[in-house]
Amino acid sequence: MNSFTREFVFLIKDRTAFLWLAIAAIAAVFAVALGLQEVSNQRQSIADLIEADRIDRQTVQAAQVDWGDAAYYSFHLTYDEPSDFAFAALGQRDVAPWKHRIRMLALEGQIYESDAGHPDFALIGRFDFAFVVSLLAPLLLIILLHDVRSSERAAGRYEWLAATAGSSNRLWFVRSALRTGLLCIALLLPLWIAGLVSGAAAPTLALASAFTIAHLIFWWGVSMLIDRLNWSSSVNLIAAFGVWLLLAVIAPAAMKAGVDAAVSLPDGGEIMLTQREAVNDAWDLPKEATMDPFFERYPEWANTQPIDQPFEWKWYFAFQQVGDQKTENLSSAYREGREARDDLAGLLAWLAPPALVERSFQNLAKTDVAAALEYEDSVRAYHAQLRAWYYPKLFGTEAFDGDQLMDIPEFIVSS
Amino acid sequence: MSRIFSLAKDEWRLWKRSRLAVVAILGFAIVLAAACAGTLLAMSKATHERESQQAVAEQTFLDQPARHPHRMVHYGHYAFRAPPPLAIVDPGVDAVTGQSIFLEGHRQNTAMFADARASADLGGLGALTPALVYQILLPLLLIGIGHALIVREREARTLGPLLAQGVTGSELYLGKSLALVGIGAVMLVPLLGLSVFAIASGENLAASLGLFSLYALHTLVWCVAIVLISTLCKTRGTALGVLIALWLASSLIVPRIAVASTAALLPSEGKIETDLRMQADLRELGDGHNASDPAFDQLRANLLAEYDVDRVEDLPVNLRGMVAQQGEADLTRLLNQYADEKMSLERRQSETANAFGWLSPMMAVSAASRAVSGTDTTTHHRFLRETEALRYEFVQGLNKAHAEKMAYSDDINRSSNAEAERRTRISPENWDVLQSFHFTPDGADQRLARGSSGFRQLCLWLVLLSVLGIAAAKRLKP
Repeated sequence: MNSFTREFVFLIKDRTAFLWLAIAAIAAVFAVALGLQEVSNQRQSIADLIEADRIDRQTVQAAQVDWGDAAYYSFHLTYDEPSDFAFAALGQRDVAPWKHRIRMLALEGQIYESDAGHPDFALIGRFDFAFVVSLLAPLLLIILLHDVRSSERAAGRYEWLAATAGSSNRLWFVRSALRTGLLCIALLLPLWIAGLVSGAAAPTLALASAFTIAHLIFWWGVSMLIDRLNWSSSVNLIAAFGVWLLLAVIAPAAMKAGVDAAVSLPDGGEIMLTQREAVNDAWDLPKEATMDPFFERYPEWANTQPIDQPFEWKWYFAFQQVGDQKTENLSSAYREGREARDDLAGLLAWLAPPALVERSFQNLAKTDVAAALEYEDSVRAYHAQLRAWYYPKLFGTEAFDGDQLMDIPEFIVSS
Repeated sequence: MSRIFSLAKDEWRLWKRSRLAVVAILGFAIVLAAACAGTLLAMSKATHERESQQAVAEQTFLDQPARHPHRMVHYGHYAFRAPPPLAIVDPGVDAVTGQSIFLEGHRQNTAMFADARASADLGGLGALTPALVYQILLPLLLIGIGHALIVREREARTLGPLLAQGVTGSELYLGKSLALVGIGAVMLVPLLGLSVFAIASGENLAASLGLFSLYALHTLVWCVAIVLISTLCKTRGTALGVLIALWLASSLIVPRIAVASTAALLPSEGKIETDLRMQADLRELGDGHNASDPAFDQLRANLLAEYDVDRVEDLPVNLRGMVAQQGEADLTRLLNQYADEKMSLERRQSETANAFGWLSPMMAVSAASRAVSGTDTTTHHRFLRETEALRYEFVQGLNKAHAEKMAYSDDINRSSNAEAERRTRISPENWDVLQSFHFTPDGADQRLARGSSGFRQLCLWLVLLSVLGIAAAKRLKP
C-alpha cells in the first residue's frame, strides 16, 4: 500500500473532512445550476424582446407619415447575449446594462439607462461559481488543511510518524495534496458538467480549471506555511482566517476605494446635464448655431435645402447630434476613466489572489468591465448606423415611403 | 457575583497575555477605525456634493430664459438624495441605486449613475463600512478569541478542579460569557461614537440608539452562541469547526441563497419588457402633444360646452395646454400604476429574502440595519415617490401656464410663423412652479417598525441560545 492510497483511506474515514468536501461540492453544484438558470433566463428574455420589439416597431411605424416622425417614434433593441461561460461568473451583467432600446435622439441621454434589479440583491451579491472559487473555496481549504500536522502533534503521534514515515515532509505533503486535490475535483466536476451543458469551449473550461487549481495551490501554500510555525490547530485556523480576511475582504475593499479615489471620473450626471442643456438650448439659438457644427461633422449635407421654418425635423435631429458632439469630451473621459479604473484594478488584483480569480473568471465569461464597454461601443456603432440611414432621408428630397422602414439595419451581435 | 467578575477578569488577563488574541483584537480595531473614518468622510463629502448639486439644479431651472412652457417640461429637472445621518454606519443601497434622478414630462426615469457601475471591480464583499465590519468581521473575531472559553478548561482538565472549588456551572458559564461580551462591548464603542455623531447631525435619538442596540443585540447573539458551542463540544477543534461552519452559513451562504431563491420565487420583469407592455396601454391614452388625438374629443366637447363657444379658437384657454394637462394626468396615473406594481413586487421580494433572517443572524441584522439607517430599498422607493410628486407638480404647473398664458392660434402656428412663435414664449417668472426639494427618509418610528422583524429574529436567536446555554451551564460537568 503506497502512501497515497493509505492517506486516501484515512481521509474517507475522516468524517469531518468528508463533510467539508461535500459542502464544497454542493456549493459548486448550486452555483453552476443557479448560473445556468440565470443565463437561460437572460437568453429567453432577449429572444422574447427581439420579437416584442419588432411587433412594437411595426405598429408604430405603420402610423407614421414622414421620415422625421418615423425616426422619432421608432425604438430599436440592442442587446448583449451572455457567453457560453457566463453561467460561471455573472460579473458586470448584474450592474451594467446588457440591453437597451434606443432611438434616433441624442444617444448620451439613452445609453446610461440601466435596467436595475432589486437593490438588496445587488448589494448582497450572487451565488455564482466565481464567488465559490474566489471566496468560499479558500475557507474550505483552510479548514481542511489547518490540522494536517497539528492534529497528529496534539494526538502525540507526530514524532513517531515523523520518524517512521521516512521523510516526514513527504507525509504532510501527500496528506495535504490529497485534500487539496479532492477539493479541486469537488469544485471542478460540477463546473465541467455545466460547461458541457452550456457548450462552453474546452480551452475556456481548461483555463477556468487552471485558475481554480492555481488559487487553491496558493491557499495550500498559505496553510502549509502557517502549519510550519508549529502552533496548535485552532491557532493555525485563526491565523489562516486572518490571512483570508485580509486578502479576500479587506484588501479588495481597500484597493477598490483606492482605485476610485486615484482615478477620478466626470460625474455621470454631468454628462446628462450637458447633453440636456445643449439639446434644449438649441431651440432658442439661431439655426446656424446648430447647423454649422453639424455640417462640420457631415459636410455632405451642407449644401442641402436651408432650414427656413421654426421647426424642421432635420434641424431637430441635427441638434440631437450636436448635443452628443458637445458631450463627446465628457463622455469619452467617463469611458476612459472606467477603463483606467479597470486597468488599475487588474494590476492591483495581483496582490489579492481572490480578486484576481474573480476578475479572471469574469474575463473568461466575458462579463468583465471590458465586455460591458464593448457592448456600449456596439450600441454606439449601431446608433451611428441608424443616423447614417436616416440622414439621407431627412436631408434629401426623397418622399416618405413606409415600406422602406423595413430596410433599417438591425442590431447585429458582434463576436 | 464577584466570582463571575473575577472569572471574567481571569479571562481578560489571559487574552492580554496571548499574542494571538492581542494581534487579532488590534488588527480588528485598525480595520474598524479605517472603516468608520472612511465611511464618515465619504458620506459627509456626498452630503455636501448632493446638497450643492440640488441647489445648482434648482437655480438653473429658475434661470431659464423666456420660452414655450412645454419646452421647460422637456428641459426637466434633477433631484438628488443626500445620505441620511446614519448612512455613516450603513450606506446601504445608495451605491447600487444611484442617488440622482432626472425629472421630465411624460416619463418616470429610474435613478441614474450608480457608483457601483463605474467603480473598480475587485470582487470581495463590497465596501469596507462599519456595517460590514460589525455584521461579518466582528463575529469572526469573537469566534477566534472565544471558541475555547470553556472547552479549553475541559481539554486541560481544569474544569473538574474549578467546579470542585465551589464555582457553580452557571457562575462559570456567566463569567466566561461576561468576558466575551466585554470584548464585544469594547468593540461597539466606535459604533456608539458614530450614533452620537449621527444624533449631532440631526438624526432622531430613538433611531440612532435603535441602530446601536441592533448591533449590540447581534453581537450578544454571537457571544452567547460561542460560549454555548464551547460548552457543548468535547474538543477545541470541534468547537472552532462548528462555529466557523455557522459563521460561513450565516454570513456568506444563506444571504446569497436567499437572494437566489427569492429571485426564482418572485421573478422581476426587466424595464424594457415593462415599457413595451406599457406602450400598448399608452396608445389608448392618447398623446398629450396632439390636441386632435381622438382620446381628447371628450375634453374638447366639455370645454366648448362649458364656455359656450363653437370653435376652440374662441376658448379663453389654450386647448393644447388643456390637452397637455389631461394627457399628463392620464399618463401619470398609468405610470404610477406600473411603478406601484414594481415597488410592491420589490417589497414582497425584500420580505421574502428577509425571512431568511430566521436562519442567518447576518441577514437579520443587515436588513434591519438598512431599514433603521434609512438606506434600505423602501427608503429608495420613498425617494422615487417624492421625486415623482415633485415632477408631476412642476410639469402640471407648466402645462397650466401653457393653457392660460398663450393663445391657441399662436400655439398651433408657432412652427411656421416666427411672430407667433415669439408670442408663445412666456416669461421666466412662470418657472417658479418648481418646488425646492430636500429628501428626508421616513420618521424614526416607521424605520424602527420596518427593522422590527430583524430585531424579532435576533431576539428569538438570543432567547433560544440562552435557554440552551442555561441548560448546558447547569449540567456542566468535567
